Amino acid sequence: MDPRIEREQTLTRRALLGHGARGLGALALSSMLPGVVKPAPQNGLAELPHFAPRAKRIIYLFMSGGPSHIDLFDYKPALRRIHGIELPDSIRQGQRLTTMTSGQTSFPCVAPMFEFQRYGRHGTWVSELLPYTSQIVDKITIVKSMNTEAINHDPAITFINTGNQQPGKPSLGAWLSYGLGTMNRDLPDYVVMISRGNGNLQALYARLWGAGFLPSKHQGVKFRSAGDPVLYLSNPPGIDGETRRRMLDGIASINEQRRQETGDREIEARIAQYEMAYCMQTSVPDLMDLSDEPDWVFDLYGEDAKKPGTFASNCLLARRLAERDVRFIQLFHRGWDGHGNLPREIRGQCKDTDQASAALVMDLEQRGLLEDTLVICGGEFGRTIYSQGTLTKDNHGRDHHGRCFHTWLAGAGIKRGFEYGKSDDFCYNIVESPVHIRDLNATILHQLGIDHERFTFPYQGLDQKLTGVEEAHVVKGILA
Amino acid sequence: MLSLLLLPLGFLSDGEAVDYGRDVRPILSQYCYPCHGPDSATREAELRLDRADVLGDDRHILVPGDPEASELFYRVTTDSEFEKMPPAASKKTLTSDQRDILKRWIQQGASYEDHWSFRPIGNPEPPAMRSDWPRNAIDRFVLARLEAAGLEPSPEADRRTLIRRWSLDLTGLPPTPEEVEAFVNDDRPDAAERVVDRLLSSIAFAERMTLAWMDAARYGDTSVFHADGPRDMWPWRDWVMRAYHRNMPFDQFTLEQLAGDLLTEPTREQLVATGFLRNNGTSDEGGAIDEELRVSYHVDRVKTVGNVWLGLSTECAQCHEHKYDPIGQDDYYRLFAFFNQSVEPGFQTRNGNAEPTIPVPSAEQERREQEITADIAALERWLSEVEAPEAALSAWTSEQRQELLALDPPTLSPWQALGPFQGPSSKAVFQKEYGPESGVDLEATVEGHTWTPRPDLADGKVQPLGLPANSALYLTRTIHVEQPGERVVSLGSDDTIQVWLNGESLLSKESYRAAQADQDRVTLKLEPGDNTFLFKICNGAGDSGLYFKLLGLPLPDPVIAALKKDAAARTDAERRAIRDHWVRSVWDEGQQRQSRIGKQQKALTELRQSIPTTMIMRDLEEGRPTFVLARGQYDSPKADQPVEPGVLENLLPLPDAAPRNRLGLASWLIDPDHPLTARVAVNRYWSMLFGHGLVRTVMDFGSQGEFPSHPSLLDWLARDFIESGWDIKRAIRQIVLSSTYRQQSIAPEVLRDHDPENRLLARASRFRLQGELVRDLALSVSGLLVDRPFGPGVKPYQPEGLWNEVSLNKNVRFSQDHGEALYRKSMYIYWKRSAPMPVMTIFDAPTREKCTVERQRTNTPLQALVTLNDIQFVEAARHLAERMIAAGDDFDTRLRYGFELCTSRPPDDKRRRVMREIFDAQWADYAKDPTSADLLVSVGESDRDGAIDPVEHATWTVLASILLNLDETMNRE
Repeated sequence: MDPRIEREQTLTRRALLGHGARGLGALALSSMLPGVVKPAPQNGLAELPHFAPRAKRIIYLFMSGGPSHIDLFDYKPALRRIHGIELPDSIRQGQRLTTMTSGQTSFPCVAPMFEFQRYGRHGTWVSELLPYTSQIVDKITIVKSMNTEAINHDPAITFINTGNQQPGKPSLGAWLSYGLGTMNRDLPDYVVMISRGNGNLQALYARLWGAGFLPSKHQGVKFRSAGDPVLYLSNPPGIDGETRRRMLDGIASINEQRRQETGDREIEARIAQYEMAYCMQTSVPDLMDLSDEPDWVFDLYGEDAKKPGTFASNCLLARRLAERDVRFIQLFHRGWDGHGNLPREIRGQCKDTDQASAALVMDLEQRGLLEDTLVICGGEFGRTIYSQGTLTKDNHGRDHHGRCFHTWLAGAGIKRGFEYGKSDDFCYNIVESPVHIRDLNATILHQLGIDHERFTFPYQGLDQKLTGVEEAHVVKGILA
Repeated sequence: MLSLLLLPLGFLSDGEAVDYGRDVRPILSQYCYPCHGPDSATREAELRLDRADVLGDDRHILVPGDPEASELFYRVTTDSEFEKMPPAASKKTLTSDQRDILKRWIQQGASYEDHWSFRPIGNPEPPAMRSDWPRNAIDRFVLARLEAAGLEPSPEADRRTLIRRWSLDLTGLPPTPEEVEAFVNDDRPDAAERVVDRLLSSIAFAERMTLAWMDAARYGDTSVFHADGPRDMWPWRDWVMRAYHRNMPFDQFTLEQLAGDLLTEPTREQLVATGFLRNNGTSDEGGAIDEELRVSYHVDRVKTVGNVWLGLSTECAQCHEHKYDPIGQDDYYRLFAFFNQSVEPGFQTRNGNAEPTIPVPSAEQERREQEITADIAALERWLSEVEAPEAALSAWTSEQRQELLALDPPTLSPWQALGPFQGPSSKAVFQKEYGPESGVDLEATVEGHTWTPRPDLADGKVQPLGLPANSALYLTRTIHVEQPGERVVSLGSDDTIQVWLNGESLLSKESYRAAQADQDRVTLKLEPGDNTFLFKICNGAGDSGLYFKLLGLPLPDPVIAALKKDAAARTDAERRAIRDHWVRSVWDEGQQRQSRIGKQQKALTELRQSIPTTMIMRDLEEGRPTFVLARGQYDSPKADQPVEPGVLENLLPLPDAAPRNRLGLASWLIDPDHPLTARVAVNRYWSMLFGHGLVRTVMDFGSQGEFPSHPSLLDWLARDFIESGWDIKRAIRQIVLSSTYRQQSIAPEVLRDHDPENRLLARASRFRLQGELVRDLALSVSGLLVDRPFGPGVKPYQPEGLWNEVSLNKNVRFSQDHGEALYRKSMYIYWKRSAPMPVMTIFDAPTREKCTVERQRTNTPLQALVTLNDIQFVEAARHLAERMIAAGDDFDTRLRYGFELCTSRPPDDKRRRVMREIFDAQWADYAKDPTSADLLVSVGESDRDGAIDPVEHATWTVLASILLNLDETMNRE
C-alpha cells in the first residue's frame, strides 16, 4: 500500500478514536490498552440543567469599548431638537462622570450625525450605519435599557464578563464550561476570538475569559488568526503525523503501565487528554479552513470574511464552531471607544461588524441552528448624549455612559422583532424596564436551563454565583 | 482482607457523639445563618442560631435532650409549606443525614461551642502508640486516626522515589542521577536527614517557597488595570527569597512585610519587605475616580491579609455584616483603617513604579555611588579650602571691576516676527529650515509670510505668542554695542527653542514645556556695531510663548554686585563670592576640579537613574480618618460612623499598648495566642507537601470552611511552630521526615476507592507538578537550566502577538529575550497580569491579579500540546537527547540515563521494549527523511552538538520528548 494512503488511514482511524471517548473511542482505546476503564467524564454538574434549556450554545459578539446606543438604535426624533443645548441638570441628576469629562464646563447635547429609518414589522428605528442589521430587526430583540454601575472600561468590561468589577471571578464562559461540561470531544467548549477595528482600542485582559476560582480547564481557549490557531497546536518542525502518533502510542502505553502500577486513576484522564490533543490537531485546522465554504457564504458575510482575523471571518468561524457543538463562542471586537472622533470611528466600526453579525443570524437561521443558539451583541456600556470635547459641525466625542445602553439578542427562545426597555428623551436615564447586566447574565443562564440562584461554587466560605450577591432577575419580557 | 476492616470514611459513625464544630455548625452555617446568623440586617424573626443564647429562648427553638419538643427540629422535618426550613424560596434542602445529625445533637444536649478555628490553639499530647511505625509526633496522630478507621499505613516508598519527592517538594527540581545513586547507597543511619538538610539549605528551597508566596502575595511585573503597565517589584521578591534562605522566623517575616516601614529606623531591606502590600493591581485609566481606586487598593489589602494570615474571607463585611463569621462591618473598616493611612494616590502610573518607592542598588552600584559621592565631596572641599594665589586673584578682580565700570549698555531694537509656519508635526517644523537660519533678510517673503514688527513683546516677562499647533515662528532683533564683549541672555520658550547670533547657532532644544523666566542661558559674543539675534520657537500644541532678558557680563549676579563695590567696601561674604568664582571658573587649577565635579555629577545622575526601585509602604504623618462606607461604596462614608484602626477583637483582643497602626496589626497576627495565624501557616505548608491541607479549604478557616481531617495534629503542628520560634525550616523538616510523608503513593484500588482524596493519609499523595516545575524539570534534565537566582523577570519563548492583541491601543509588544534568559527557572518569567505566559496559565497558574493561596490542578489537552509542541520543551528534548547519547554507546545505557534523569528510576523491561520499538521505527523514518531530522534538531536558539549525526540525534530527541511527556515524569509520586 502507498505509505501516504496508509498514513491517511491511520490518521482517520486515530481521529475517529478520539471522538466521543465515552462511546466508540473509549472502547477502542481500552481494547488497545487493556485495563483502561473509561476516561474521566468531562461532563458538567449532575444537577444541571435545572430545567429544559432553550439554548444549547451561545455566540456572544462582544463590542469592546462601549458602542454608542444613541447613534445606532436608541433613536427618537426629538433628539434633533436637543442638539446643541446644555444637558439639563434634571437629566444628569448629579450622576458621577468619568474624570475625562467631569471637568468640562459645558455639556452640549449631540443628536446623532446620522440618518435613521424605521424597519421591520414594528417600525424599529435603526441607524444608517447598520444597513444589514436593519434587515434582521424582525429576528432579534433589542434591549434598550441595559445598565451598569461601572463608568470606566476596565471595571465595566470585567463586570459584564465576570459579574464583578474586581478581578478574580470566573467569566460567563468558564461558568458554563464548569456547569454544563462539553458537548464535543475534539474542540474546546469555550472559544474566544479577538478582532480590532480602527477606533480607540481599549485593552482586554485574560481575566475576561479566565476561570477565576474555578478549575483553570474552564478558561476560554483563544482561537487566533496568525500562527497556530490554538496555541502550541502544530507539531514541531521535523515531527510528522506518523511520528506524533507513534509517540502518543508510546506515551499512552507507558502511562497505562504506570496506572496499573500505581492505581492512580488520574492517569486515565491524562491518556484521554493526550488523545484529545491529537484530535484537536486535526479538528482545529479543519475548522479554520474556510475553503469548503461556497461563494454565497462570503457574499453573505462580506469579503472581509476571507481575511483571517477580521470580525467577519470570526463570525463565520463562530458559525462553524456552533455547527460543531462548541458551547460558548465569544468574539471580542475592539475599537468602540469614541471619545474624540466618534462620527468617523463609529462608521468604521459598523462597517467592520454590521454585515457579518447580521449574516451570522441569517446563516444560523437557515441552517436551523438559531433555534437553539443564543446570539448576543453588545458592549460594556453606552455613551453620553453630551459631547466630550468641542462639538463642531461634523465632529464630536461621547464619554462613557453606564446608565443606559443597548444589547441585542437573537435565537433560542428570544422574542423576534421586539424592543425592550425605554430611555428618556436624552437617551440618558431609563424610564421603562431597566435591565441590569446581572439581569442579562441571569437571562443567558436561564436560556441554558440554569437557575442563576442555584448555580453556585463554594469558594472562600461563600456560595459564589455569576450574578454575585445582589439580586438579579431573568428578563422574562424578552422571552418568546 | 483490607476491605473487611474498613469503616465508613465519614467522620461520624452510628452511635458516635456528634461534635458541634465538626458536624453541626457546618449545617447551621450553610442552611440557617443567611437569615439567622451574625448579620443583623438580614436576620429574620429575631432569631440567631449561631450563639447559645437561643437555648434560653421561650420559643423552645432548642430544647436540650428533646428533639421532638424543639421548634428547630420540627421546622427542618415538617412538610408544611409555610413552616418548612430552609424555606422553599432558598432552594436549599437538608439531607436526611443532616437532619439526623441535628436530632442527635439536640438529644445529646444541643451544646454550643465556638467555631473550632477561633478557639485557642490546643496543646494536644501525641497519642501513645504501640506500633514502631511512627518516627515523630506527626505519625502518632496519623496512626491513631488510621487505626480508628481500621486502616494501616502504606509501606515506605523506595529511596529513589523518596529523594525525588523530597527534591521536587523542597526545591522544585528533580535530583540528579548521581544524587539518587548516592542516597541509594548511603547506609548511614541519618542518610535521609542529610538529604533533607542539604535541600533545605539550598537557595532552590528559598525559590520553591517564594514561588508559593508569590501567588499569595499576588506578585506581578505589571500593574493589572487598564494599560497594565510595567513595574519593578522583583527586589521585593528577592527579599522574600533571602528571608526564606536564611530561615527568617515566620513572625519576623510577617512583621517586616506588613509593617517594616514602621519599625524604628527601618533598614532598606525592611522597607523593601513592605512591597508585599504594594503588589496589588493599580490603575491609570483616564476616566477613573481617584478615591474609588484608592479605596479599592485597601479593600484588596484587607482581603489579602485576611486570606493569607487569617485564612478568612473578610470581603462580605465590606458591604454588610458577615453572614457566616463574626466579622461586623465596623470590624471590616477597622482593618481597612490600618491601610487607609497610606500616602499613595488612587490614580497611579502605567510607566513603572508609583511612589513611595525606594532605590535598591546592587552591591556594585552602591560601591560606585559611594565612590563618586566621596570624590565630589573631596573636590568640593579642596575648592572651598584652597589658598587662592593672592596676586592672580587680585589682578583678575581689579581687571573685571574696570571692565564692568566701563561697560556700555547695549541698544536693543524691537522684535520683528516671521510666521507662523505650520507643518504636519512639531518635530517637522522644528527641523525644517524656512530661511532666516542662513541670514535674516527683513525684506524677504517666505511662504507668503513677511517680517512684521512686534514692539509689543516686552523683555523680562513671559510673552504669550498664540501660535497654532505644529507651527514655527521666527523673531529677530539687533543688539548694538560700541565695544566688543560678552553678554549673557536669559531665555524661556513654549515649546522648542533655537537661537542664532550673527548666523551662528547657539542653542537648539526640542523641549516641550511651558515658558518661564531663565529656562536657558546663552553667552553672546558681541561685535562692535549691530549684532543680529534670531530666535525660532515652535509650538506642539496648546499655549506658546517666549521670555528674553539681557543680562550683563557672564558673571553671577552676586559677583557683579561685589565687583562694582570698591575693594575696601566689600564685606567678607562679597570677597568670598569673588574668590569662589575665581577659584572655580577662572583659575586653571580650580576649573579643572570644577569640571570634574560636573562630570561626576552627571555620572552620579546616570548611575542613580540606572538603579532599580521597588514600591514600599509609607503612611501619612497626619493620618486619615476612616468611616464605615455604606454598602461598601467609596463615595458613601457614614459620617456618624468613624472608626479607628483595630483588629477582630472576637478572635483575640489587641493589647492596649499596641500601636494603632500596621505594626499593631502585625504584632496581633503573630501573637502566640492568636488562634489562626500558626494554624493557617502550617496548613499551607502541609498542603504544599501533601497536595492538600489538613484543612482542605486552605483559604477558609471560617465556619463555611471544612473541618480539619486531623484537628489535634493541626494544633500540635501550630503549637510546635510557635514554640520553635516560628521556625519554618524546622516545621517543614519534621513533616518531610515523618513516616507519614515517606509512605509510598502506590495504593491498592480498594484503598483508593475508600479514600479517594487521601484524607486519612494511609498513603502518600501522587500529583502532577505545578506548571513552573513542569517546565523547570524539562530544563533541568536537559541540562539547559541556567540556575541563577534573583533579578528582574525574563521573557522566554512565547507565541507572537499575545500581548499586542489585547494591549491598549496596540502598542505593547512582547520582546523575547535571548541567550541565558531563555533557560531561567519559571518563577523568573516576566509576569504580565493581563496576558500571562500561556504555558503557565495552561498549567493552572493564576493570573495573580488577586491573592491565591491554593492552585487548582487540572488535566487538559492543551497541557499535552504544550509539553509536546512548545519550542521550549522540544528544545529541551533535543538537549536531553544529547545527554543521553553522551551517556554511552548502546541503546540501553542511553535510555537508562534519560529515564533516570526524568523519573529517578531505571526503565523496566516493558518500558524498554516500548521505547526500543519506537526507536527502531523512528530511526528508519529519519534515515529516509534526513531533512526532517535536521529540522527537529534545530528547534530553539541554543547550539547543538554538531558532532552528533542528525538522524541519530533526531531519533533520540523523539524518545526524549516521550520521556518529558510521561505521567511519571510530570508527577511527584
